[in-house]
Amino acid sequence: MWKWIYRIVSVLFGFLFIAPIVWMLVVSIKKEGMKIVTLVDWFTPPYSFAVYDDILSGTKLSNWMFNSFFVAICVTLFTVAFAAMAGFVMSKLPFRYKSAMFFLVLSGLLIPGEAIIIPLYQVAKDMSLLNSYQGLIIPALASPVAVIVLKSFFDGVPNDLLESVQIDGGGTWRIFTQIMLPLNRPALASMAILTFIGSWNNFLWPFLSVTDDNLFTLPMGIPTLMSQYSEDYVKPMVVNTISSIPIILLFIIFERQIIKGVSLSGIKG
Amino acid sequence: MRMNKMRADVLALLFLLPFLAVYGLFTIWPMVKGVQMTFYKWTLIKKMKYVGWDNYSKMFHDQEVWAAIWHSAIFVILTTPTMIVLAILLAMIANRKSRLQKLYRSVFFLPSVLSVAVASYLGLFVFQPYNGFVNTLLHLIRLLPENREIFWLTELSLSWIALTLITLWWTVGFNFILYLSAMQDIPDEIVEAAKLDGASDSVIFWKITLPYLTPITKTIAMLQIISSFKVFLQIYIITGGGPLDKTRPIIQLIYQTGFRKNDLGYAATMSYMLFVILLVLSAIQYFINNRKGANA
Repeated sequence: MWKWIYRIVSVLFGFLFIAPIVWMLVVSIKKEGMKIVTLVDWFTPPYSFAVYDDILSGTKLSNWMFNSFFVAICVTLFTVAFAAMAGFVMSKLPFRYKSAMFFLVLSGLLIPGEAIIIPLYQVAKDMSLLNSYQGLIIPALASPVAVIVLKSFFDGVPNDLLESVQIDGGGTWRIFTQIMLPLNRPALASMAILTFIGSWNNFLWPFLSVTDDNLFTLPMGIPTLMSQYSEDYVKPMVVNTISSIPIILLFIIFERQIIKGVSLSGIKG
Repeated sequence: MRMNKMRADVLALLFLLPFLAVYGLFTIWPMVKGVQMTFYKWTLIKKMKYVGWDNYSKMFHDQEVWAAIWHSAIFVILTTPTMIVLAILLAMIANRKSRLQKLYRSVFFLPSVLSVAVASYLGLFVFQPYNGFVNTLLHLIRLLPENREIFWLTELSLSWIALTLITLWWTVGFNFILYLSAMQDIPDEIVEAAKLDGASDSVIFWKITLPYLTPITKTIAMLQIISSFKVFLQIYIITGGGPLDKTRPIIQLIYQTGFRKNDLGYAATMSYMLFVILLVLSAIQYFINNRKGANA
């Protein structure tokens, strides 16, 4: 009896989570202008891919998708690299002002990006960074969270190991790139995944700093397109589908790593 | 690592430099600059006029600001407990051995990879009257009579419900994964031993599973409260802050004040208020978590 209730509830939730996405896909291939009365009407032919052609050739959607991926990839690579370098010396090098440095980074955890977005706009404007890829990417490259998390993983690498490499004549850079980084690959991957998803969804900063529609990322571009399609379901769902397919494919390919990365972030968080 | 002091200082500086440069220029410096801006009438083309404490006294008497803060708080109150309950429920479903186990895990996490704009627009269309997914589904299963429609996004209480449901659907995946891995860390022997002693499933859940989930729940609750307080795009797209600005969150008001009303100084002042609120929330959370050294 309970077993069946359990199964039914499970299937129900599975349905509720996947249904909107399936609906999005189906509506996107529906022929435009068909009369819809019931749910069943959405799921019956005629189907057509004509709108896909219109959207891909008539809008800058593919351009924006490139921008989203380009910005997210750059932000991910540099953020993780910078955070790993900083986390490494804070974990393993004895230097002056180390505790002051740690405090400075730690206090960054308390500063939400949204709270400094207005002065950041003024700073970026003074540096002529508005309306440029540099402006989209550079301000996002310092992540105190990533520094703290990576430092705590680096703390787990035994000092004896590093010292034995040092005795063999290995320099600091070699220790960093050939021991610290490879040993902490899962932690680095976890930070990379979270940074990527954060950048992929970043809206407020691109929204304020970019006005040239060639530089839009998806979260900014999609609303400008959608506002032209009132009363229509098919075009918006085509836009949604095209925007989602690459990231869904990435998810399917890297699912194991992504899930592991997310669960790992909970350990030290 | 052992090395001479001078050398360590120089090396540390070199390794820290890329992070510090960006952090200093784009976090610390705006933080300082922002304080200055709150004392000015400051426009987009940087016409500045010193106004002393005017922005602050204006803010404390501004009904719109308090209303917007209240709306963000409503969103926190609606999303935080529901998020935790739903995430635990989904984790229980996906933790149960079955043929569909892996599929459930993928399906529950899938919406989390969608772009915030896609999730929001999908939500907007899912909750449309007449042809939207939810209403046509309710018609199909006869929960809603054919001749009636629910206007999810134009009625205030319903639009809060719709916003909450969309946000849960889109973001529960992360917390679900955290709970799932916490559940998988519960030693099998403990559960087996309890079963041998004749403990029922519900006893096992309340006495074993839930206590194991307490530390991660504290973390999730804190992160959820802060991120819900910073909500913007979902509401901006789905209700536009309406009906009648009654769902407009504080970030949207900051944006409109700065960039529509051309008043960056006042917008910066509101940002600092937001900062202080988030700081107080984190402090309360920190205090609760460390009360009995409970934070494992």
